[in-house]
Amino acid sequence: MSKMKPRKDLLDIESLSLEEIEHVLSNAGPFKELFQRSVKKVPTLRGKTVLSLFYEASTRTSSSFEVAANRLSADVTNFSVSTSSITKGESLLDTIETLQAMRSDYIVIRHQSAGVPALLAKHTRASVLNAGDGFHAHPTQALLDAFTFREKFPDLKGKKIVIVGDILHSRVARSTSTIFQKLGVEVAVLGPSSLVPEGRPEFMQRLSSWEDVFDWKPDAVYLLRVQLERQNGQFFPGIAEYHRMYGLNSERLKVMRERGTYLMHPGPVNRGVEVTDEAMGYEKSLIGTQVENGIAVRMSVLHWLKPKTGME
Amino acid sequence: MKLFKNGSLAIGNSADLESADVLVDDDGLIRATGRELEADESTEIIDCGGCILVPGMFDLHVHSRDPGGEHKETLDTCAAAALHGGVTGMVLMPDTDPPIDSGNQVKNIHERAEGIGSLDILQSGCLTKGRSGEKLAGYSGMVTQGSPLLTDSGRDVPCPDLLRRAMEYAHDFDILVACFCDTPALTRGGVINEGRASYRLGLPGAPAISQEIAIDRNLRVAQNTGARIHIQLPSTAVGARSLRRAKEDGAAVSSEVALHHLLFNEEMVTDYDSRFKFDPPLRLPEDCAALWDALLDDTIDLITSDHSPHTPFEKSTDFGSAPSGSSSLETTVLVFHDRFIKTGKCGWNFLIRKYSDNPRTLIGKEKLSWEEGRRAEFFVFDPESETRLSTDYFKTKSPVSLFQDETVSGAIRETVIGVQSFS
Repeated sequence: MSKMKPRKDLLDIESLSLEEIEHVLSNAGPFKELFQRSVKKVPTLRGKTVLSLFYEASTRTSSSFEVAANRLSADVTNFSVSTSSITKGESLLDTIETLQAMRSDYIVIRHQSAGVPALLAKHTRASVLNAGDGFHAHPTQALLDAFTFREKFPDLKGKKIVIVGDILHSRVARSTSTIFQKLGVEVAVLGPSSLVPEGRPEFMQRLSSWEDVFDWKPDAVYLLRVQLERQNGQFFPGIAEYHRMYGLNSERLKVMRERGTYLMHPGPVNRGVEVTDEAMGYEKSLIGTQVENGIAVRMSVLHWLKPKTGME
Repeated sequence: MKLFKNGSLAIGNSADLESADVLVDDDGLIRATGRELEADESTEIIDCGGCILVPGMFDLHVHSRDPGGEHKETLDTCAAAALHGGVTGMVLMPDTDPPIDSGNQVKNIHERAEGIGSLDILQSGCLTKGRSGEKLAGYSGMVTQGSPLLTDSGRDVPCPDLLRRAMEYAHDFDILVACFCDTPALTRGGVINEGRASYRLGLPGAPAISQEIAIDRNLRVAQNTGARIHIQLPSTAVGARSLRRAKEDGAAVSSEVALHHLLFNEEMVTDYDSRFKFDPPLRLPEDCAALWDALLDDTIDLITSDHSPHTPFEKSTDFGSAPSGSSSLETTVLVFHDRFIKTGKCGWNFLIRKYSDNPRTLIGKEKLSWEEGRRAEFFVFDPESETRLSTDYFKTKSPVSLFQDETVSGAIRETVIGVQSFS
């Protein structure tokens, strides 16, 4: 396995160097190979504790982290947010005090407010793994996306990926576009003006239609989940129109099939909104692989980070 | 008597400082100014060699948090902070808990303020009952009790019809209407300027047009009703342009700017540091420049601190949940000197005009002067010294500041009001 000076926390993709990204990605490979064996567990984090703290509902990401931690032999505790005093208005700093007192080695946190993992990281000796904060970042998603894409294209230079959908409210779009850009992949976005913010970085060039997308010849199409629950206003007139304008319908799927374009999605998928049912069986869909790789990548991250616990 | 000797006097209408001594009698009145004033044996002599004597500032936008937020600030600590920062008069915002929306409440604050350090504390009142934007508050009582202006402070009056009635009604009392300009339906949950910073940090953005539209609307309603309007804290170049146009049209409009909108922009918000969270939010570098130009050409009449104390604990939560604003009564003069006067961008006369004369004139108070017979009201500034803005510098109850732990040039040695002096 490759060596790299460990970090305490993983909060975003921006702050990672290319070498650090390479390190996490290359170490995810051996972890993935482990999954083929009958015994999928290694003793790397035996005796270490991982606290899982999800302020926002999530099954996929929290399970993925839990499986990853288990396979590294760590003990995982779920701090149940919905039933704890947190929902009763306990201040965030007081919660952090409590968490600190539990002396976990790793804290996996998802929070609806951007910057909370960074705040937690500042106040705890545990390694903090950002599992999604506000619209800000979802770094393990980005790492698993890059890992998945690179399995198909070992040489990433000059490859192209288009991200389709709600960029404005998407931490996945922010982190995933950033990692691809760092790895030399060209990134474009497609979506209505109401969901593609002006304040995005310049490297995210905007395409205006699926025709443009096909003219641009991407190697993969990355569909974002249309997060109806996140939107506090009307950003587009309705599901039907969204599907017509930006969804992956049969016609568009046909073009992708002809060209062998890969399909990615962070899940969970809204069938009939961003993708047609038919696309779910698409042979070049990487959606299932993304999930599997998520575990390997999260193992690699847990393996790399080094908490400051036990150093008092 | 007290003789402030060997200092230089700063005045509003000239950039030149005048070397002069100031003799203050036992009633706290200026007895004489001039070179080499003689003193008898009983006179206390204060050597002001190398120092500048500056007329006391007047802050038109201060959140005292009293009543209801006494853990953040009280009338006493707010007054102490003001005096510490060279401010000898101020208008308190009515966004307390409960909000100040009746004559009795204004009376109560004024009575309490009377006992505090003889500085000029004026309580403004709400435009609408409970700042709710639903019903008019009782203006006659508040005006009778001496409220210098009416404002819903920190909130606009969303309903244009109610805003119009409020201005019509206020016009009858010839009282200033101060508007915090905002379109809530556009601001929504925005906590930072919408643009690059909101994208980068993944925080909900508040678009500039939210304030700009409201400035235009409020100016238009004021022009239509004849009300005197004061636009609080315009934060963008477009907003400044609207103000300039309204002034060209001869509208009875005035405006203010806070130091943080001149000095900081959204690009400086890093690491989710909630001290950079303001309402209205920090905008773009070009907005800062446009606001400075507007201050120079008198589109913007005056400077305020927008002193908004919140405890360190309250500010230390995540950016999105942290309250907006921070303490600034004690830093405005010092930082303004450090960034603008010392660097030669303007003279003391500019600061005096914008932070002492204009706010006083706007609410019908006399400007301060060095004339014989006037009450002594000034601070002694030592430009050769420096001030470290560490936590123990602050007299506010909530020492949270954008300038925390910075060392700025110059120091306020003492603030004098009548026979009292504070340091």
